[in-house]
Amino acid sequence: MEALSLLQWLIDGLIGIGLLWLAWRALFCPELFKAIVLFIAFGLLMTLAWVRLKAPDVALAEVAIGAGLTGALLLSSWAKLRDFDANKGMGVREKNRVQSEQKTKRPFFHWLSATPVLLMAVGLGYGVLQLSPYATGLSTAVAENLDASGVSNPVTAVLLNFRAYDTLLEIAVLLLALIGIWSLEIRPSVREATLDPVLDLLARLLTPLLLLVSAYLLWVGAHASGGAFQAGSVLGAAGVLLILAGWRLPLSLAGLPLRITLVVGLSTFIAVAVLMMLDRGQLLAFPPSQASLIIFVLETTATLSIAAILAALFLGSRPDHSEKI
Amino acid sequence: METFYLVLVLFLLLNLAAGMWRVLLGPTAADRMMAAQLFGTTAVAVLLLLGQVEGRSALHDVAFVFALLSAVTAVAFVRRAWSEQEKKHDSK
Repeated sequence: MEALSLLQWLIDGLIGIGLLWLAWRALFCPELFKAIVLFIAFGLLMTLAWVRLKAPDVALAEVAIGAGLTGALLLSSWAKLRDFDANKGMGVREKNRVQSEQKTKRPFFHWLSATPVLLMAVGLGYGVLQLSPYATGLSTAVAENLDASGVSNPVTAVLLNFRAYDTLLEIAVLLLALIGIWSLEIRPSVREATLDPVLDLLARLLTPLLLLVSAYLLWVGAHASGGAFQAGSVLGAAGVLLILAGWRLPLSLAGLPLRITLVVGLSTFIAVAVLMMLDRGQLLAFPPSQASLIIFVLETTATLSIAAILAALFLGSRPDHSEKI
Repeated sequence: METFYLVLVLFLLLNLAAGMWRVLLGPTAADRMMAAQLFGTTAVAVLLLLGQVEGRSALHDVAFVFALLSAVTAVAFVRRAWSEQEKKHDSK
């Protein structure tokens, strides 16, 4: 028994030190690409940390969003930045000048950004110290009301029933991010036009599997780890894979149908919220008898929207736009 | 058996730490990315072992999704980040 707890200590210590070290290296790495790879490794270790903390739901979310899409998005942005530099013909000397300029400006900006972070850290620390050491948290309250939530997984019950407005706002944030990117009018990259037989085969094999796993995660979320965000990002990863393999949305679908898919999650959520407001006088307070069905509808539409938004984020430019150029 | 699994987890984590040198040293982008991909494979093994130790089947799902999605990152790297460098090398 002694050896077992020592082993667990060693594993947890290694994960903890590794996380801090990776975070430090990723933040202070001057080379962007290296920082991205370090960040991917950080997400991976973070997943293991969540597992060790007995939070498989968070681990699954970290995997679905961190491992699949963040890495792909960061790498693609890095490639775009590099192309941008190359197109501008920024010479080495000029680059050095810019870098030395940035260096002289650095201390000021460091302190400017460090001040609010430090203030927040002090505030958070104060808040944590103020907490009663005997508080049990809200887990008992959730467990007591789980029957009324319509699902048996407490995490899903909190995210889509007790605090459904959190999820509502998260989807709104994603949509806002996409609107922000679309309004930038980025020119589409044409590099994917070349065909690659290996990638084509991989896309053909992986896409059905990703669709299946996405549906599974959506369904299993009602009673175990899973849910709309995880399912949406797996489905979005399928979209990213297809985009990378050179597949494009047909022009007939890239206009209105795509936009409807993008907003269906948020609009269903808002519609349900308004209906509940009229019916029961409270925002997103579901009647227990129908809660299960409402959550299922909300999650399904949210999955579709999240997937479409994430794939569109990866594409970067408006699909109906890119075809014209 | 539990001790054996945890020893294996520790061994795999030490492997991760060793692989970190490749990420730091490089020298090419592909070296770094390959190391990160190998981390993904190792992490899948760690997740499965931990799932066995803790008796949580949810961890199998986590490992499965991980294995599926790390391929997408690799494809994104090859298609977006790496192909350009190849071209540059060819033109030299």
